[in-house]
Amino acid sequence: MSTNEIVESIQEQIVALLPRLRRFARNLVRTPHDADDMVQIAVERALLRLDQWHSDARLDSWLFKILRNAWIDEVRSRGRRAKIFMPEEAGEHVGEASIDREVDRLSVEAALARLPQDQRLAVSLVLVEGLAYKDAADVLEVPIGTLTSRLARGREALQAMLRLPEGDIS
Amino acid sequence: MTVPDETLMAYADGEVDAATRAIVEAAMRDDPEVRRRVAQHQALREAVKGAFAAVIDEPVPPRLIAAARGTPDGNVVDLAGARNAAAVNAPRRGLRWQPAAMAASLLLGLALGYLGWRGSNTLVTVSANGELVAGAGLAEALSSQLSADHPPGTVAATGLSFRAKTGDYCRTFSLTATHANSGLACREGGSWKLKVLAQSPETPANSSGFRPAASADSAAVRAAVEESIDGEPLDQAGEIAARRGNWSHP
Repeated sequence: MSTNEIVESIQEQIVALLPRLRRFARNLVRTPHDADDMVQIAVERALLRLDQWHSDARLDSWLFKILRNAWIDEVRSRGRRAKIFMPEEAGEHVGEASIDREVDRLSVEAALARLPQDQRLAVSLVLVEGLAYKDAADVLEVPIGTLTSRLARGREALQAMLRLPEGDIS
Repeated sequence: MTVPDETLMAYADGEVDAATRAIVEAAMRDDPEVRRRVAQHQALREAVKGAFAAVIDEPVPPRLIAAARGTPDGNVVDLAGARNAAAVNAPRRGLRWQPAAMAASLLLGLALGYLGWRGSNTLVTVSANGELVAGAGLAEALSSQLSADHPPGTVAATGLSFRAKTGDYCRTFSLTATHANSGLACREGGSWKLKVLAQSPETPANSSGFRPAASADSAAVRAAVEESIDGEPLDQAGEIAARRGNWSHP
């Protein structure tokens, strides 16, 4: 294959991944439109640095990582506007005041939005995107033990907020 | 036998090896509490995945497909604003496979052109060994302002602050007096060395003369940040701590 054909083939793979990138972005940014903007920024960045992608790495993980980094840049550089999740503040009080009666009726999305960003991203990558722990850890650039502990804490908080009916598989 | 909850979670996620799976399944047979906890993990997994299932079936906006194919349709992301249109779109085809050095020399050319045009050492000067460094005004802004600060009359709005892989502190900025320049400077040896100075398409300042710090976010600056950043950008507490140490290598 010529270089051009390789590029075009990767571009088509990226097109195929767009629905998943959009879904992941919905866990980063509040509004669907802003989420799509983040996806566009990430995709443009990815194309600029295709030479940094190694074909033995998973393309989806690589794109998730670029998307996450693009989002971090946006949050920091935009002076923390209200419509982007505030990473530190958003989840600080989860486990305290937010778990009250009103929260019983939270939708899953709303409950996820209340998690601290670290936990939200771990939950999103593993439970929503179906990434293996090691791939999710790679996207977040943390050791796998950190990923699993964020995932465990995130799940615990979600469980408390959602009060899911308890399964019975006897 | 007590199985830790993290192991049950990993089991529900399909992340355990055969030996651990056997242990968990034996525990599930023996202990209704273990069954309950595993079922709970599985129910949560389904609930969370289900909540976002609809996104996958939504039609993908054409602008994203165009972006993925490298054929932008002119519908530029308005997060960053139209100022980034040319920076993001125009050079892409040419630069795609080019080494970073080429981009760097292009930016240096812009910087030197800018320097000549400006004719002022408030913003940019050349050090004795020929490096571009922040002039007094820009250096003052970089050293004193937090990213959230926008003091009136400042020559530059500061954007993102971070530690580079070299250990140096670096900051993005956009110049307020001009319409179109954003950059990245790193604190090395007591001065702010300019790593990138990028020209963006002209965007007039708003009525107060202030352009938001996001203006520092040209594609070239972003790419340079992503290349050199070590870990996460500094939050405000991190900036305050760095400023206290005069942004010198800790």
